[in-house]
Amino acid sequence: MSIEHHPTDTMLAAFAAGTLDHGQHVAIATHLVSCPQCRSFMRSMEHVGGSVLTSLPPAVMSNDALAKAEARLNEPVLPAVADLSPTVPETEVPGLPKFVRRYRFGNWKWIAPSVHLRPIMLPYASDTRVFLLKSGPGTRMLEHTHTGIEMTCVLCGAFSQDGAHYGPGDFDLGDETVEHQPVVEPGQDCICLVAMRGELRLKGMIGRIMQPFIRL
Amino acid sequence: MPSESELATDRTEWGPLIRSIATQQDRTAFAVLFEYFAPRIKAFMQRSGASEAKAEEMAQETMLAVWRKAGLFDPASSGAAAWIFTIARNLRIDAHRRERRGGVIETSDAEIEFQIDDSPQPDSRLAAAQSEERIRSALAKLSADQMRVVELSFFEEKAHAEIAKILGIPLGTVKSRLRLAMSRLRTLLSELS
Repeated sequence: MSIEHHPTDTMLAAFAAGTLDHGQHVAIATHLVSCPQCRSFMRSMEHVGGSVLTSLPPAVMSNDALAKAEARLNEPVLPAVADLSPTVPETEVPGLPKFVRRYRFGNWKWIAPSVHLRPIMLPYASDTRVFLLKSGPGTRMLEHTHTGIEMTCVLCGAFSQDGAHYGPGDFDLGDETVEHQPVVEPGQDCICLVAMRGELRLKGMIGRIMQPFIRL
Repeated sequence: MPSESELATDRTEWGPLIRSIATQQDRTAFAVLFEYFAPRIKAFMQRSGASEAKAEEMAQETMLAVWRKAGLFDPASSGAAAWIFTIARNLRIDAHRRERRGGVIETSDAEIEFQIDDSPQPDSRLAAAQSEERIRSALAKLSADQMRVVELSFFEEKAHAEIAKILGIPLGTVKSRLRLAMSRLRTLLSELS
């Protein structure tokens, strides 16, 4: 099934501009892995970046700027020593960008009946927490709202929400104005990558009772 | 020394110069690219909040990366200006992270975080020349105000509030204007493709 729910154009532009918070960058990158259409728009925005760059009024460089650069052209380049081997194999979490699979992953934690969470340790400071959320078929997630922005990208399985279907690659944005209660579709576990800024607020009596124990 | 205008203009074909650096370590080509792009990269970095000295250093680093990575430039997938922009953008991200970590030197990582194209689906990239042209004409159709918010979104570290201050309009207007400009741009791009 094709992807129907996408990040907004402004989010894709912010991604291309490199101004997103790292956690949100990870969420958008995850969508881009499976969405050629958004990838193409994002690449177009990089061209807009090139266009913005060339249209800026040039700053004044110091007199010896070029000479300084030329003097460094023959400097040996140190090879990158970054460890490039993935910590999590693709088969375990399909649809994640390669660079994310090199991050450290925490263990799966039980947070509610048939709902598990696996934190992803971001290598850079971020106001956004990123984790995988796995829910069993038929799970009705607790109705919730947010105090900040929540980005969700489906990796496998599917859920439905407000009559719409969210399958692999689909992207959902929640914020303080949205109250939603996704239901996992039957057949298989649904794994999503979630980037969450702020706190999740569970609604209703059960939610209020469980909130202190779940601490999302 | 010849002035910049004698060396290069907005119409200069940058791609062949980058190829020439890649194939024959062409220092003259490098000088032409440097004279045109370094002052603009410096301006870009200053707008992003870097001090004058820092911005100059980052312009230097970007141009050195252009020299070193010239072999990776693929004219079929991106235009020269867009390619140089992505190098500058990645260096800006790396520098920002280093600052937050207290100046510890580390390897450049941001570049890897934009490599998302090697997925099974075919990528619908257009030939660079065609896409550059397409984007230029799409941008030309935006109103001056729309272009201004699009442009500012590339320096958005400081959030929309600052943009509102610069433009002297309410925050809500900035957000709606940016949304409008983006959707207009998307429509124009799809019409032209």
